Order: sequence, then structure tokens, then C-alpha cells
Amino acid sequence: MSNEKEGLTAQEILEIEEMGNAAAEDGSTKEFLTFVSDGLTYGVPTEHVIEIITNHTIRPLPLVPDYVQGIINLRGQIIPIIDIRLRLGKPFIEYSSTTCIIILDIGSDRVGVCVDSVSQVLPLDLSESSPVPLEDRQHLATSMISVEDGKVVLLLNCSAITES
Amino acid sequence: MDNVTDSLLDTYLFETNSLLERLDELLIEAEQNKDFTEDEVNEIFRSMHTIKGSSAMLEFNSLMEIAHHIEDLFFYIRENGMSTLDSEDKNELFNLMFKSVDRLREEIEKVENNEPLSTNIDSFIEEINNFLSKISGQGGGSSDSESGAKAGAAAPGMPDAPWCIRIFFEEGCGMENLRAFMLVTTLQESGYDFIYSPTGVENDSGTTQEIIDNGFYLGFKDEDQAKKAVVIVAGSNNIHSYELIENNSPQESDKEERRESASVAPEKSAPAKPQAPRPAGTPQSSSHHAPVKQNLISVNLSKLDSLMALVGEIVITESMVTSSPDLKGLKLDNFMKSARQLRKLTDDLQDISMSLRMVSVSGVFQKMNRIVRDMRKTLNKDVKLTLVGEDTELDKSIVDSISDPIMHIVRNSMDHGIEETVDERIAAGKDPQGEIVLSAVHTGNEVIISIQDDGVGVDTDKVLEKAKRNNFLTKPEEEYTKKDILALLMEPGFSTNTEVTEYSGRGVGMDVVRKNIENIGGVVSMTSEKGQGSCTTLKIPLTLAIVDGMEISVGNSIFTVPISNIRQSFKVPAEDVIYDASGNEIIRVMDEFYPIIRLHNLYGIYDDVCTNIEDGILMWVEENERSYCLFVDSLLGEQQVVVKPLPPYLNNFGIKDYGISGCTILGDGNISIILNISAIYSAVVRS
Repeated sequence: MSNEKEGLTAQEILEIEEMGNAAAEDGSTKEFLTFVSDGLTYGVPTEHVIEIITNHTIRPLPLVPDYVQGIINLRGQIIPIIDIRLRLGKPFIEYSSTTCIIILDIGSDRVGVCVDSVSQVLPLDLSESSPVPLEDRQHLATSMISVEDGKVVLLLNCSAITES
Repeated sequence: MDNVTDSLLDTYLFETNSLLERLDELLIEAEQNKDFTEDEVNEIFRSMHTIKGSSAMLEFNSLMEIAHHIEDLFFYIRENGMSTLDSEDKNELFNLMFKSVDRLREEIEKVENNEPLSTNIDSFIEEINNFLSKISGQGGGSSDSESGAKAGAAAPGMPDAPWCIRIFFEEGCGMENLRAFMLVTTLQESGYDFIYSPTGVENDSGTTQEIIDNGFYLGFKDEDQAKKAVVIVAGSNNIHSYELIENNSPQESDKEERRESASVAPEKSAPAKPQAPRPAGTPQSSSHHAPVKQNLISVNLSKLDSLMALVGEIVITESMVTSSPDLKGLKLDNFMKSARQLRKLTDDLQDISMSLRMVSVSGVFQKMNRIVRDMRKTLNKDVKLTLVGEDTELDKSIVDSISDPIMHIVRNSMDHGIEETVDERIAAGKDPQGEIVLSAVHTGNEVIISIQDDGVGVDTDKVLEKAKRNNFLTKPEEEYTKKDILALLMEPGFSTNTEVTEYSGRGVGMDVVRKNIENIGGVVSMTSEKGQGSCTTLKIPLTLAIVDGMEISVGNSIFTVPISNIRQSFKVPAEDVIYDASGNEIIRVMDEFYPIIRLHNLYGIYDDVCTNIEDGILMWVEENERSYCLFVDSLLGEQQVVVKPLPPYLNNFGIKDYGISGCTILGDGNISIILNISAIYSAVVRS
């Protein structure tokens, strides 16, 4: 688990993220929470992230597309869970101990996104981003940005997640 | 809009709406007696005064103007008494008042919907003024009395007291309202008995401007007290000027006041209308009107909603704690004792918080009085409305949503139900006066509301003929039973009246009623005897928030079926199942045949599921006259559950159409899906 390697728990990531939020507010730099799904690194703006949870029992729902894994009871709130792999048309893998659910606040909806693992919070300069050359078929990630160690972060368009 | 104004607006709307509602009731009552009592005149006067004041504060000018003119009118009536009006005038007065209340309500609706208020109210004001001059002309007085009445009512905040002190604070000293309040407190501490205007200075900064423009008034009963108070006033800080006014002839001095205030604040063409204190003495006289209201407070509905949600959580958490698997096998006497105590308390808490949302249907029923009254006039039918069980209580949100359907049915009864002429009624051997009975009865977990009229009833032949003409029939004509024919009336686009009237007959009626009632989980049914009238019955659930449910399992999933939908659960041997031509399973229960719907097939649940009909259990369910048997794995037990809506995101997938109407959190924190029995049936029929 990448965040374990860095000695971070989900809670700590969030705390760092809050500090980051307070610190970096200049220009086009924005805080992004990065996570890994099927070997690719994605980023979501931290302003959309409510929290990160692990090990939650998901109640499956009948008659919904396979990427809607079901609903969870988060302290009395009913939240739908979307598996980002399936949403992006990738194969499903069994959930493991690194699997996290990122609870996102998208407009009026609150949804949980199931990812392989959560990495870290990065300040990214949006002016350095470039559009994804071949737009992926779901239009979920429209731009990408490269970070120090040569890695590329795909920036996730949050509102597109809940659009069908 | 900022929060302060928002909450102010909320209060304003609540207050004005309840005043208008009360006015409506009062007018209906007064019209029946064909007279206003002195108390009623006073109450109308005061209500209008309050509406005027608060509307002015929020700058809703049209509302203020209308209220202001009615207030003028009633000022005159109050001064001269109802006896000066002859019966024709009284009739006109009632009509004018009903119109005014409607007008005010229209404006309030505009405020609620955030629409611009109408600016063109002159003709209406004119109407009120004309009436006022008409009656004041008759009342023996000249135009003097009219203008006198006007001036009196429009006086800028002079309290109704023989001696007044009028105070102006130093210009630009700021916070005039609080300074005024400090002055009031000082005087009160010194033991003076007085009233003051504008009221509400301690917490309403809106009064500041009024004090600046018109001065702050203190009203005393006798000269002696007033003179002593002047000394105290003179000794206070920041007082620019003060004067002692003898208020023996209020009309005279009011006129003077107006001139003065005009000179003080020349930029204001009309003096602001402050909220003058209620005229002394009236509170006692009106006390018998609203004794019930004194124990009531108004609470924001969203707060109650969050309270309900919270209590629901507590109930669940309580059972999560007390039935925690960690406690298994432990002998914990003290813990169990405390746990029982806790359970009892949470149950009580739940009951009480549920009851908070319950309101009586009387508000809705009273509205019908008004509708019957109006239609009686326009349709020229003599009909009385009898209300039964007005104090029956329902969840607030349900009461709100049954108002329109009931109104529609009452209109239907008035329009189509009751005979056109008295002769027809007499010929049919009925009381010349028609009757509509609106009743509410509480039965177990639902409330039954029925609207019954003793009119002509539904002519089933005519309905059938029309249905045939308009291609509404789905089976051969002969097969239609009376019940089927009446159900046709609730099909979209069906109306028996060939003529469209002001009130009904557009053919968008009963289907909308049915839809609205079904939306809140209710059922509409109709019965009718030709020549004897008809009856529409609404069965409404008490509350939407809590359901008595049966937990069932299918595979690893848990579902909840509302107990009210379950008729029976039973096991069947495989040989009892009958198959139709297309292989659908059918079962015979009590000499009737019902289809079997396998929930696991419908929802595509394949893991660990019972497929053998003998291993699972059949549940005979019924909703909205749709009856069938649901095949499930097993019954887990009965439980009261708190209904939670599904997240809005899931509406994208149309699962509501497949009977997944909501969900609930079980004692162990797991989620159960609440099934909508009639939607499952429709889904199966569709597929």
C-alpha cells in the first residue's frame, strides 16, 4: 500500500491536506489527492474530498450498472459507491486491504469512489497541465500533468463521475 | 439574502399566513352570522395592522397598501359600529373582505416564490376606498369622518393613550432603537405604567428609522404620570427634543402629527407606518379567540427533520450497542439492566419526536369551507359543508400534500355532484340544501379521509359510454364492473362534464389526485350510487418516516416489506404451483389465483439463493388493489424501521420503477432495501 510506505494513514493524509489547503492558495496551484487505479495515478481536487474510509461493508443494489457497487451506511448517511475501475471500463479486482473509498462531495451528490489505493496529496500547478491527447471514452480525465519523479497524474473531472 | 433577513422573512411569512388563515375562518364564521361582532372587527383591525407594519418593514409595498386600506375601513367600522351598515352593505363588505384576503394571499405567494410583487393595486385600493366612502356617507358623517378615520388609522405611531410624550434623539447618535429601549427600561424600573411605540425596539433594528422619522412615543394614562416621566426623559442622554402631547382628540392631533413629521422628514412623502402598539384593552377582549395558541411555538421544519434523523440514528445505535456480538456469552446483569432502561428511554424519545411532526388536518379542512362558500355563490347552489374529525393528526408533510387533492374532490362534488337546481333536489325527495361531508378518521397506522356528497352520483352508463367514445376501454364493455367504471374516472384525461367550468372539468382532475395521493403512499377509491351521491375515500399513511416492516432475505440481501402490504405468508408444496401458457407460476390462495413473482429473478440475485419453491416462502402481498405472491428465501422478523430516501444519484438508474423505494439501516448497521409492492408488480407487468 503506497500510503503505508510513506507511513501515512488515511486520517493523516486528510490532515496534511487541510494544512495544504491553508497554505497553498496562490494562483493556479491546487491541492490534489492522488490515488492509483489499475496502475494509473489519478488526482481529484481536495476541495471535493470529504474523507477516506476503508473496510466498509457495501450493500449491493440490484438493477444498477456494475460500476455502482452499492450503498454504504456512513454514520447514518446512505452513500452510493462507484468502483472507478469499472466506471473507466477496466477489469474488476477483488477488494484488498489497500482498497479505499474516497467520499466525494460533487454538487448536490455525495458519492464514494472505490480505488485500488490512495497515494498522497500533491500541490499541482494547473497551468502546467495538458489535455489528454486521446480523450478516454468516459471523459472522466480530461487533462494530465507530470510530477517530479516522471510520474503522470490524470486529473479527474469530478462532476463527470456522476453523469451517466 | 443574508441570514437575518431570511429568518425575518420566514417569521413574516409564517405570521402573515397564519393571520390570513385566521381571517378566512373568521370571515366564514361572520358571514354565517351575517354580522361582525365587535371582537371580530377588532381582530381584523389588529391583523391588518400587524400585516401592514411587518410588510412595511420588509418593504412589501403592495401588501402594506392593501392592509393599510382595509385597516382604514375597519377603523371606521370600529368607531361607528356594524349597526350603521345595512344588510346589503354587509354583504358587500364580506365579499370585499374575501377578495382582500385573496389579494393579500396572492401577494404573499409571490413573496414566497420570490416573484416581484404586483405594482398595480390602485383599482383594488379604489374599490376599498369607494366602499368606505359609501358606508361613511350613509353613516351620517360627511367626508370629514372618512378622512378622519383615515388619518386616525394612518397616524404615524401615536399610541392609543390620552397623554403622549414624543421624543427625538440627537441626530446621528446612532442605535436609536436601543436608546429608546434603555429609556423604556429606565421608566419601567421607576414604576411607570405606559405603552410605547414603535414596539419591538429591543430586538428590531428596523424601528430605528421610524424613531428617527417620527419620534419615539410613550403613552400614559394620566397627565400626572406623564409629567413626572418627562422629568426622567429630560434627564436622559442624547435626547434632542421632547414634547408632551395631549391626545384627547386623536384625529385632530394625528393630523398635526402628520404635518410635523412631514417637516421633520421632508424627503419622505408619506410617513413610515410603524408597528404601533396594540390598542389598549383589546387583548383582553380577544383573549377567547386564541387561547390555544399561547402554548405553541413555531419551529423550523428542517430542524424537526434533523431531530427525527438523529433520533432514528440513536435508536439504531442503541440496538447496535446492546446487541453487540462482543457481548455474546457474557453474563452482565448490571449492563442488561441499564440497557433495558436505555431502550425504554429511546423508545419514548422516538415516540415524542414523531409526535412533534404531527399536525391536525383542521387547517386543510377549514380551507374547504372557503371553497364551498365561494362556489356556492358562483354556482348558485345551496350547499353546507360538514366537517368531522378535524382534529385528526397527520405528519406535517402529508398534511401539506393532501390539501390540493381534497380541494379538487370538494370542487368536483360541488360542481358535478350536487344537483344544479333546488327543484331537482326536491323532486328527488332530498333536503333542498345539499350537503358535503368531509371527515377524517384515525385507524391504526392510517388515516381515512372521505369526501361524501348527497348529490346526483355518478352515472355509470354515461361514464362507460364516454370511455367507449374516447377509446379508454381496455376490455369488452360488458366486463366492466361498477368498480372498474368508477376507476375509469381516475384515468388521465377523463372527465364526464362536457362543459369546462371555472372550477373543474378540464379532465386533468382525478388522475392528478390519484397520483398525488399515491406519491405519499396513499390510496384513492370511489363509491357512488346513482341519485344518492358519491363518496371519495383517501387512505393515507400516518407518517412517511417510520414503517412497520418485515425483514426478508433473498440470497445475502435483506429487504423490508411494509407490514401493511402483507396479507399472509406461507409455504407451498411444489405441486400446488400452476403454470400458465407462457410458463408463469400461479398459486391459488383462498379460491383466487395470484401470480408468483420471484424476487431473485426480478433483481438478478444468483448467489446463495433459494430457487426451489418448497425451500423458500411465499408472501401474499397487496397494494393499490394489486395482489400477488412474492417468493423470497426466508422471513427474518418484524421491525420498525426509519425510512431513508435513496441517494439522488441512484435515481439515474430508474430503480424506483422496480420497486426499490428507499432504504433503512438495521440494528446491526447493515442496510435493508424497502420494497414498493405495487411498483414491483408494474415492473413485472412491463417486462
